[in-house]
Amino acid sequence: MAIRANPKLITELEIYGAQDVSKCYHCGNCSATCPFSKEPYIFPRRSMRSLQMGLEAKLESDLEPWLCYYCGECSVECPRDAEPGETMMSLRRWLTARYDFTGISRLFYLSWKAELLAVIIVALIAGAGFLLYGFSQGNITQYNGPDAFLPASSIHIFDWTLAAVLLALLLTNCARMWWFTVGRDTKVHVPLSAYVRKIYLLPTHFFTQMRYARCEQKRPWAIHLVLMLSYVTMLILIMFFLAPMWSGPAVKWSVHVFGLAATAGLLVTTIIFLRKRLKKSEVQYQHSHETDWMFLVLLIVVAATGLVQFTLHRLGLGTAANINYVIHMMAVVPMLLLEVPFSKWSHMAYRPLAMYFADLKAEEMVSKAREAVGAPQAA
Amino acid sequence: MEDLKIGVFICNCGTNIAKVVDCDAIVDSVERLPYVTVARTYKYMCSDPGQDMIQADIEEHGLDRVVVAACSPRMHEPTFRKTLQKAGLNPYFLEMANIREQCSWVHDDPVAATEKAAALTAAAVLRVAHHEALERRSVDMCPNTLIMGGGIAGMSAALDLADAGNRVYLAERSDHLGGNVARADLTAPYLDSARDMLTERVTRVVEHPNIDVLLESQVRKVDGFVGNFQTTIRGKADDGAPTDSVYDVGSIIVCTGYKEFDASRITHYGYGKLPNVVTSFELEKMLRAGRVTTKEGRVPQYVAIIHCVGSRNLEFHAYCSRVCCMTALKYAHEVKSAVPGAYVSDIYIDMHAFGKGMEDFYRRSSEIKTLFLMYEKNDYPVIRKADATDDCDMLIEVNETLSGETIEMPADLVVLMVGMEAREDSEEVAHLVNISRDKDGWFIESHPKLDPVATTTDGVYIAGACQAPKDIPDSVAQARAAAARILARTARGKIEIDAVFAEVDEEKCSGCRMCNELCPYVAIEFDPEKRRSHVISALCKACGACVAACPSGAITARHFTDKQIFSEIEGVLA
Amino acid sequence: MTFEPKIVGFLCNWCSYTGADLAGTSRIHYAPNVRIIRVMCSARIDPTFVLKALHDGADGVLICGCHPGDCHYSEGNYKMMRRYPLLKSLLADYGIEDERVRLEWVSASEGQRFADIVNDMTERVRALGPSPVKAALEADLAER
Repeated sequence: MAIRANPKLITELEIYGAQDVSKCYHCGNCSATCPFSKEPYIFPRRSMRSLQMGLEAKLESDLEPWLCYYCGECSVECPRDAEPGETMMSLRRWLTARYDFTGISRLFYLSWKAELLAVIIVALIAGAGFLLYGFSQGNITQYNGPDAFLPASSIHIFDWTLAAVLLALLLTNCARMWWFTVGRDTKVHVPLSAYVRKIYLLPTHFFTQMRYARCEQKRPWAIHLVLMLSYVTMLILIMFFLAPMWSGPAVKWSVHVFGLAATAGLLVTTIIFLRKRLKKSEVQYQHSHETDWMFLVLLIVVAATGLVQFTLHRLGLGTAANINYVIHMMAVVPMLLLEVPFSKWSHMAYRPLAMYFADLKAEEMVSKAREAVGAPQAA
Repeated sequence: MEDLKIGVFICNCGTNIAKVVDCDAIVDSVERLPYVTVARTYKYMCSDPGQDMIQADIEEHGLDRVVVAACSPRMHEPTFRKTLQKAGLNPYFLEMANIREQCSWVHDDPVAATEKAAALTAAAVLRVAHHEALERRSVDMCPNTLIMGGGIAGMSAALDLADAGNRVYLAERSDHLGGNVARADLTAPYLDSARDMLTERVTRVVEHPNIDVLLESQVRKVDGFVGNFQTTIRGKADDGAPTDSVYDVGSIIVCTGYKEFDASRITHYGYGKLPNVVTSFELEKMLRAGRVTTKEGRVPQYVAIIHCVGSRNLEFHAYCSRVCCMTALKYAHEVKSAVPGAYVSDIYIDMHAFGKGMEDFYRRSSEIKTLFLMYEKNDYPVIRKADATDDCDMLIEVNETLSGETIEMPADLVVLMVGMEAREDSEEVAHLVNISRDKDGWFIESHPKLDPVATTTDGVYIAGACQAPKDIPDSVAQARAAAARILARTARGKIEIDAVFAEVDEEKCSGCRMCNELCPYVAIEFDPEKRRSHVISALCKACGACVAACPSGAITARHFTDKQIFSEIEGVLA
Repeated sequence: MTFEPKIVGFLCNWCSYTGADLAGTSRIHYAPNVRIIRVMCSARIDPTFVLKALHDGADGVLICGCHPGDCHYSEGNYKMMRRYPLLKSLLADYGIEDERVRLEWVSASEGQRFADIVNDMTERVRALGPSPVKAALEADLAER
């Protein structure tokens, strides 16, 4: 059955960052040099090819872009400067947009102005909302206590609601990802037992990023791991330890030490990444899409306002702390509501899922291949 | 026979001969033959020290015959004849034994090869004993040249010859100069204008006082021999009636070019049935007019270019037509330029980017976002009409090898890169000037590597695509090479022609006149008073037909006498 | 010891000899049983050459010229074509088997074809065994 080629697709992908893919003449150096490219997932050349020919359905069902960690070796080796690394990155952006059922993701990727506008609107709404709430039931000079401007209990409810919304959106998109990459694949059928048996892969990949560690350069994995673990720490503290976090002005070391460490981790790593992107120091930082900047900027604002929050709170400056908190939430809410389900941040879900699905499919394909040649199945 | 002194020189040719043939064993076997005075081997007999060695032996031992067992005489007979000449010996006292091309290079059994080489050398030794001193004749070299074909090759050669002060007759069959280049818009890989290139040539040719441009003219007959050809050319008189004129020339250059493959012979491309499937030349017409449109007059959104139409195909022509890959890339650039939003796909087997600037051109073509699709030889794309609901006119199914998928590529306009073929009149031309054609109809050069413009007929040269598919730079290079060869001869004013011809012994001739009719060159005339036949040596080309036919055995072929050949037969069977 | 036939080949300079040279430059290997004598044109080949070769011990004779229409001297090969049937019928009268003497057209670009012809002819003559002429001459000599 012949697949209809769609040469127009690369015009669309240019906006996602793949301007150089036409230069590729398929020497294969990139796939040869990639430390992760291994049967049955050979990349980036195959993805470059599908993209050049515009095989949309195939690209949509590919897991390869998520198996790539953009070490950039392929782009270094490419004799034609076809930027395979950046092409894989733009495919990740495109897939993020595809998995999203709302269409918001696509809008953000195609128009950075739309994304900025959305962020600003959400930030303003959040700011106005918190201010209104605060004035309606509290005193702006009070940080915590009975007359608190923004009591921890209310914030806690807000946080959990926000989490539920974002989880619903994210999980729906993850389900779509499953459908595209595994569910509707007529050739590979993964049994339910395999899903259960291998479920441990999800948290493993999520918390250790162990595949990333297998790159030749260990530094990127280390920095990213710190960033990620800091973020996760912060998330756990906010979701489950908000009240102790909110307590003060005395420092509650059992909780605050984690908070400080996480904040330090976030600030240091985001600054490192921002510097790398500004200086274009390594291959993978030569090209930056607007969504890359938006992600880092929001994160750094959140971390910085968080630190300021802590300081102001210790100093007992209630009004300043409350105002800062509103500003902090004006960055947090768009970050969680927009970035996580619809933009770059979604990779925190898609990547571990991709590892999981890839493993499941590979196991199934290998066992089928063994069956076909009459070889004994793996123990 | 008086006491002869024969020197036998056996070449090792590095390891080319020595690896298979035991040259020392040959020395041993020839030393036993009559009159052999000296027998030795050397690494490279054709080299200066090798030739010096032969010369020294001739002088030292007073040799009067020389045998060189080495490569083919077609390679080095002239070389060694010169060596003899330098040593004061008549150059025809040389005989060569071909123990390389026809022995060491084709046999792997050293014993059998050595035995054969020894036999061939013995044959040469026995033959050379019967050689006679022959003198080469010197004839005037007419400095005029006839060039057949007024394309880029013909014009380039004409200009070089004319600039050197020689008269050139440029005969062109059609009514204009420029040939196939005149049908093109731009050229690859630098996208220069073909028109500008040609205008320069045509203007200079037409205005040159030494060039006679004969349009709508065909060569009807060629008589004579190198330096002294009489060519009959049929042209158009002022009143339009055909008129024949005879031109005296010393050399002829054949620059008749090529014709394109008929794409309708390949049915799965639908040429002739699907209106928007066109050939490369048809696209050139559109490009020259500045508008690229479909047959219905619409601007095409998808343009596909298919390589190797009629070339690299066992069913039609197995060879590669050389220029089409780069021309296809040229079209990718031109189409993108003419229709900026168009999606161009280039469907090829291999990308032949062999020359200067070509690999860069290929890279630039991918930078303008041409989509390259690769198919395997013999696994051709198939074109079909798309449905009315589709956003394109046609769909091309390709078993795409870079991805391993079978895909359907949309196309509103398909350009077929038709290959080059020998012209229909190439057989006629070959017979006119007495040159040969290979199995694909291209004219055969003297030596594929070392002599690409001369032919087996002295004085007739070939240049351009009529010899094999090639692009403009190579055609011009060949044309100017042919001109240079001719200039080297005309500069001398006289040329030497071979001393080999047939002679009638009037004592033996019975006047039966059987030979008169046999000679293809009408070189034998009958003297009715003497009642004897006589060979006009200047016209004789030494084929030997008359020699074998003469019932009285009155005709001898110089250098190929019965005695000489009989000795050879004895030698090979010894 | 397999019988190795000795075959004399008369090749015209312009086409077949050049074709044989091409087999050499292309390193196409073939049987070593043919020993080549060069003539300018197949028209030069006197039937006495063939008889002389057979008399002197050849087990076979191969004559090669240009393809009809392609003769360097325009019609030489036609002359050989006309002489050949006469020669063959004479040889038949002498009791010399048909496959011992063969006429083939080989062009300058047919190196492979020349090699194939040599190989084929060598095998055919090998199958026929040594030429009857040799035995007859020896018998004749013994008688005297």
